[in-house]
Amino acid sequence: MTQKSSGFFNWINARLPIVNTYERHLSKHPVPKKVNFWYMFGALASVVLIIQIVSGIWLMFGYENTEEGAFASIEYIMRDIEYGWVIRYMHTTGASMFFAVVYLHMFRGLLYGSYHKPRELVWVFGMTIYLVMMAEGFLGYVLPYGQMSYWGAQVIISLFGAIPYIGESLEIWVRGDYYISGATISRFFALHVVALPLILIALVFMHLVALHEVGAGNPEGVDIEKHLDEDGVPLDSVPFFPYKVLNALVAIGIFGIVFSIIMFFFPEGGGYMLELANFEEANPLSTPEHIAPVWYYSPYYAMLRAVPDKLGGLVVMGAAIAILFVVPWLDRSKAASIRYKGILSKIAMTIFIISWLMLAWLGTVPVTALRTTLSIIGTIIYFAFFLLMPIYTSIEKTKPVPERL
Amino acid sequence: MEEKITTRRKVLIGMTSAVGAVGASFGVVPFVASWNPSAKAKAVGGPVKVDVSKMQVGQKIQVSWRKQPVFVIRHSKAALDSLSKVESKLDDPKSLKIEEPYRDVNPTRSTSDEYTVIAGVCTHLGCAPKYYPEIESQPWDESWVGGFFCPCHGSMFDIVGRVFKGVPAPTNLKVPPHYFDGSILTIGEERGTA
Amino acid sequence: MKKFLLVAFLFIGSQEAVAAGGAPCGDYGECDSFKPELNNMESLQLGALTFINHCYGCHSLKYSRWGRIAKDLDIPEEIFSDNLVFGANVKLGDRMTGSMEPAVSETWFGIAPPDLTLVTRLHGSDWVYTYLRTFYEDSSKPYGVNNMVYPGAAMPNVLASMQGLQILSCKDVPMIASNGGVRRDEMGNDITEEKCGYLKTVQGSGTLSVEEFDEVIFNLVNFMTYVGEPSRSDRERMGWYAILFFVVFTALAYLLFREYQKDYH
Repeated sequence: MTQKSSGFFNWINARLPIVNTYERHLSKHPVPKKVNFWYMFGALASVVLIIQIVSGIWLMFGYENTEEGAFASIEYIMRDIEYGWVIRYMHTTGASMFFAVVYLHMFRGLLYGSYHKPRELVWVFGMTIYLVMMAEGFLGYVLPYGQMSYWGAQVIISLFGAIPYIGESLEIWVRGDYYISGATISRFFALHVVALPLILIALVFMHLVALHEVGAGNPEGVDIEKHLDEDGVPLDSVPFFPYKVLNALVAIGIFGIVFSIIMFFFPEGGGYMLELANFEEANPLSTPEHIAPVWYYSPYYAMLRAVPDKLGGLVVMGAAIAILFVVPWLDRSKAASIRYKGILSKIAMTIFIISWLMLAWLGTVPVTALRTTLSIIGTIIYFAFFLLMPIYTSIEKTKPVPERL
Repeated sequence: MEEKITTRRKVLIGMTSAVGAVGASFGVVPFVASWNPSAKAKAVGGPVKVDVSKMQVGQKIQVSWRKQPVFVIRHSKAALDSLSKVESKLDDPKSLKIEEPYRDVNPTRSTSDEYTVIAGVCTHLGCAPKYYPEIESQPWDESWVGGFFCPCHGSMFDIVGRVFKGVPAPTNLKVPPHYFDGSILTIGEERGTA
Repeated sequence: MKKFLLVAFLFIGSQEAVAAGGAPCGDYGECDSFKPELNNMESLQLGALTFINHCYGCHSLKYSRWGRIAKDLDIPEEIFSDNLVFGANVKLGDRMTGSMEPAVSETWFGIAPPDLTLVTRLHGSDWVYTYLRTFYEDSSKPYGVNNMVYPGAAMPNVLASMQGLQILSCKDVPMIASNGGVRRDEMGNDITEEKCGYLKTVQGSGTLSVEEFDEVIFNLVNFMTYVGEPSRSDRERMGWYAILFFVVFTALAYLLFREYQKDYH
C-alpha cells in the first residue's frame, strides 16, 4: 500500500494518519477466520445506526416540537411530504431493528464469553451504548405526542418520584411543567436529536477502538494471538478487507430483506412497534385502557411491575441493567465459549433465555395475579443467573479449549 | 494466503457493485423527493384570484402568490401605444431570451389587452422593483418614460416589465401563468388546467 | 417433569383464557373480519361518497386533503368538486377540517365528534366495520339506539334508513356439554337453550337488504382504511421491489463471499 500509494496520499499521511488508520482498522485489520452468523450483528448495528441518523435528520425537516403541532406534524410527514412515510417507517422500523440487533449482539457476548479477558472494556462500552439507546428510544417515543407517548412517558417520569425526598420536585424538573407538555417535548427533542446521538457516536467509537486493540473473539473462545506468522499476524486470521467485508455484505443483504418485509408490510409490528393507541393525540385527561411499553423494554417493565413497591420496582429495574455491566467479573470460567463450558452453565443459560423471553411477553400484556407471580419468578431467575454465575462457573468442569481455530 | 483476482471474481464484483449501485440510487429517491414542496406548501401556494375591475387606469396593485409579489398594472390606451417608442432602450423587447408564456398575444405581455401581470421579482438578484409611472426626469434616468426601477442594484424595466440595456438584470420580468374570467384574474394556473 | 410442564402450561393457558375476557368488539365478542381492497377504486369512491354524505356533517378528516383523495381515488377534479367537496369556499388543497364548529357539536352531542382520519388505525378496520353494523333499538338511550361494540356510544345510527330497524333478539342454540360437544338427550336429539343478544334486522324496514347494507359499510370502511394511511397501497407495491432487490443483492454477495472464502478454507 505504502509503495503503491500516490504522492498525494503520502503527503496527507505524513500529516494526518489516514492511510495508517485505514490499514490498521479496516483493510489489514486481522479478524478470526472462522466465525458464525452471531458475529454479524455488530456490523448490522452500525448499519442501523447510520439508517437512524439519516432518517432522523430527514424527519426533523417535517417534525414540529410543540404541544399543539407535534402530533399533526407526524401526519404531515406521513401524508403531505413526498415519501415522508418511507422516512418515518424507516426510522420506526429502524428503532425496533436496532434493539433486535443489539439484543442478539449482546446475547452473542453472553454465549461465547466475548467479555472475557482482555475484552472487558469492550463489553462495558457496549453496555453503556445499550443504556444510552434505551434513553434515546424512550425520548424518541414521546415525540409524536400520541396517547401512548404521553402515558408511557407519564409512567416512566413518575419513576423519578420514587426517589426519596427529591422525587416529586425531580419529576417536575424533568418535565419542566406540571404535565408532559410542550416544554417537555422540546427538551426531549433536543436530547433525542443532538445530545444522546453525540454520546452514542462517541461510545460506538470507543467500543470499536477498544475492540480493535484486543481483536475480535470467536465462537471457540480460542486466543488467536498465541500463534502468529513471521509478520506478527495471527495465523488463524484473515484481513478485514475484502474477506470480512464480503461476509458483512451477505449479512446486510439478508438484514435488508427482513427490514423491508417489516417496514413495507408490517410497519406497526402488530402494535408492538407502533402502538395503536399512539394513533390518537395525547389527552392528559384520559388514560388508555392498557399501557404497555414497546417490545424492547418489556422484560424490564415486567420486572418493574413484579415488585409491589414503587422505589423497590425502580431499584430492581435499575439493578437488572446495572448487573449486566459487571458480567466480565462474574464469569469465573476458564473457557469463554459456551461450547467448552460445563453442564451447569448450559442449564443456567437455557433457563435464562426462557425466563427472559417470558418476561418480554409479560411486559406487553395486562396484569393478572398469575402473570405477576410469573414475573416474580422470571425476575428471580434473571438475577440468579448473574449472581450465581461466580459459583456455577467456577465449580463446573470445563472441556479443554483447543489451541487453534 | 494470497488474494487472486480471477475473471470470475471480476465478473462477480462488477455484478454486485452494479446491483448495489442501482439499489442505492433508488434508495436515495425518497430522501431527495422529500425536499420538494409538500402538499401543504402546494396548497398554500395554490392559485389566487383577484377582482381587477375596481383598478383605475394607470394603477398598479400587488398580489401575493406563493409569498412572492405579483404586479398587476392597468394601462391607459396611450401608455400601451407608446410602448414601441421605448424599444430602442430595451435589451430584449420581444422577450426572446426567456420562456414567454403569451408571446405576441398582447402588447401587455398578458392574456389581457389592458392589464399586465408580472412577477415583482427582479431577474438580477431577486429584489422587488418599484413602479414609477410618471414620465419625468429621474435621478437614474433623465429621459424616464415610466416603468420599474429596482432600488437594490439600479435595474430598469419598462411599464410591462421589459429590461433596459446596460443594467445588471439579465432578462425581462417573468409573466406568471394566469387567466382572466371577466374581471376575475386568476394567478397561478392556466385556463382549463384546474 | 414433562407431565409437570404440561400441567403447568394447561393451567397458564386456562388462566389466560380468563384474562382475555374483554373481547375486542365489546358485547359483540370477536370483531367481524375486514379485508381492505385498497386498489378497488369503485369501492373507495362509493365509500368516499357515503362518508361525505353521511359522516362528514359531524366528523372531520383533518389530516387529509381534498385534492389528495380526488387524485388517489381517480376521481376527475371537476366531478369531485361538484359532487363531493363540502363547502363553497373549499379549495382542493385544503384539509378536510369538517363542517361543524366543535363548540356547536359539543352542545348537540355532549362531546365533540372525534376526527376520523386515523380511526381505522387506532381501533382497526375490523372494529369500525363491526361497530357500524351493530346499532340496535334501545329506547333507554338518548338517540333511541345503542351499540354492541361500543355500548353507550353518543352517536345516532345515521344509516338507519338504509339498514332499517335492527333489534336484539333471542334464539335457541344447542347446549354445549363440558366435553365441548353438543349435549344430547337419551333419544340422541340435541338439547337447546334460549340465548339472547343476537342482532336481527326487521325485514323490509330499511331501503337496503342486509347484504346490500353490508356492502355499503364495506365500501365506507374501505375508504376510511385508505384515509388512515393513504400511502398504504404504494407502500405494499414498493415493498416487493425492495425485497426483490435485497434478494438479488444477497445472492450475488453470497456468491462473491463463497468465491473469496476459497482463499482461506
